[in-house]
Amino acid sequence: MKTGISGELLNISGVCFSYEKGKEILKDVSFRANEGESIALVGANGIGKSTLMKLLVGLYLNFSGSITVAGHEMCAKNLDHIREHIGYVFQDSDSQLFLSTVEEDVAFGPRNYGLSEDEVQKRVSEALDLVGIENLRKNKTYQLSGGEKKLASIATILSMKPDIIIMDEPSVALDPKNRRNLISVLKDIGGLKLIASHDLDFVMNTCERTILMDGKTIVADGRTEEILGNRVLLEAHGL
Amino acid sequence: MDSIEKKLLELNKIQDIQQRNHWMNSLHPLGKLLISVIYIFLVTSLGKYDIVPLILMSVYIIFSFIIGELSFREGIYRMRLILPLLIFVGIFNPFLDKNIVMVAGYGVRGGIISMLTLVVKGLYTVLAVYALIATTTIEDICYALRMIKIPKIIVIVIMLIYRYIDVMSGEADRIYTAYRLRAPGQKGIAYKFWGALVGQWLLRSMDRAQVVYESMTLRGFKGDYIPTKKGVNAIDVIYPIAWITVLTVIRIFF
Repeated sequence: MKTGISGELLNISGVCFSYEKGKEILKDVSFRANEGESIALVGANGIGKSTLMKLLVGLYLNFSGSITVAGHEMCAKNLDHIREHIGYVFQDSDSQLFLSTVEEDVAFGPRNYGLSEDEVQKRVSEALDLVGIENLRKNKTYQLSGGEKKLASIATILSMKPDIIIMDEPSVALDPKNRRNLISVLKDIGGLKLIASHDLDFVMNTCERTILMDGKTIVADGRTEEILGNRVLLEAHGL
Repeated sequence: MDSIEKKLLELNKIQDIQQRNHWMNSLHPLGKLLISVIYIFLVTSLGKYDIVPLILMSVYIIFSFIIGELSFREGIYRMRLILPLLIFVGIFNPFLDKNIVMVAGYGVRGGIISMLTLVVKGLYTVLAVYALIATTTIEDICYALRMIKIPKIIVIVIMLIYRYIDVMSGEADRIYTAYRLRAPGQKGIAYKFWGALVGQWLLRSMDRAQVVYESMTLRGFKGDYIPTKKGVNAIDVIYPIAWITVLTVIRIFF
C-alpha cells in the first residue's frame, strides 16, 4: 500500500550475503532509490541479481549491512510493514498465479491485508484495467497465454498498490507484441520500479537508470544510455 | 499422449467443469458440502441388507448428474481407484454370511446382498464426491469448510495439497517429456534412471512449491486463505433443505 513517501524508498548499504558460510554471493552492495525511478539491474547469469531482489522483499534475513524499505529497517519484526509497500513479480508466472481464476489471484493480496470486499473488487478492477486484461477477469489462470500470465502476475502486485515493484526478468519468453505491451504497461505504472533483466533493449525502453553488477557487487550505477552505450564496460563485465 | 499428460488434462477438465456457467455451480458451496456430507453419512449408515433404501438413495446421484449435466462415465471412471478395494473387502461375504434374506419374494444369500450393498455404497460415495467437486471449486469448498469451523490449518493444507498436485504433475510431465524425447522407442523409463529422475522430480517440485509459497507470503499470506464472500439467495437455502429432508425421509421410513 502507498506510504505517501515521496523521497527515498530504498536504501541499501554495505549488504553482504551468502547462502553457505564462506561462499559469498553479494559483497558490499550499496545503492539508494527514490520514488518514481525506474531502475534496471543488469549483470551476467548467477551474479546475484535475483538474490539481491529477494533480500529487498525480506525472503532472506541473514545478511549483513542494512536495508531500509519505505522507511522500515529490514528485520523480522518489520516484515509485514515492508511487504505492504513492496511487490515482487517472479520470473515464472506459473509460480505467481496459484489460484483458479485471474480475479481470485489478483484479489488474494488485498484480501490478506483485510480490505473490505468493495475495496478489494475496486482494486482488482483497477489493476486489471491498468495492465489491459479486464476481459480476462473470470478466466482460468492455467488457460492464459505466456503474455497474459505475465500481465496477470503484474496485476496481482498492482492490486496491493505497492510503492515499490520488483520484477525478475519480466520480458523473458514474451513475443514481440506482448513485449511491446509490457513496455507500455510499465511506463504507465507509477512508484519505484526495480527490474532485473538480460534484455538490454527492454531495459533501454523501460528504465532511465541502470545498475550493473559483477563480482558480487555493483560495478556501475548511472543513466541507462551511458551504461548500455559503453560496450567496453558491458563486455568487461560479462554482457 | 502419456499418462502424466492425461492426468494433467483430467485435472484441467475438472477445473473447467467447476467454473462453467451452470446454476448448480452457482449454488452456495456450504449447501452443497452439507448435502454431500449428510448423503455420504446416510448412505454408509444403511444396514448391510437395506437394499430398498439404498436404491432410493440413488435419486440424489441421478438428479445431480442429469440436472447438473455431469458425465456418469467420468464419475464411474473415478471408481477405478477404490473398486478393487471394495471388491477385495466384499468378496468374502458370500462365503462367510450364509443367512438367507428375502428380496422381492426371493431368498438370496445374505453375503451376496451385503457384498452388493458395500459396492453400491462405495459407488454412491464416489459419485457424490464427484458431483461436489465438479460443481464447486477448491477455493469454494475450503470456504465452506471454514464456515463449518473446520480448523484453518486443515483447510489450508487441503488447498495447498490440491495446488501441489498440480505443481508436481507439471514437473513430472516436463521431466518425463524431456526423457522420452531423448530415449525414442523405449517403453517407460529404464530402471537405472529411476533414482535420478525421481530425485530431480522431488527437488524441482520442492523448488516450485517454495516459489509459490514465497509468492503467497509476499502478498500477505499468514496461514489463512480469505476467499470471496458468497451471497446467499433463497435457492441456496431451499436446495440443501429439500435434499436433506428427502434423504432423511428415505433413511428413516424405508
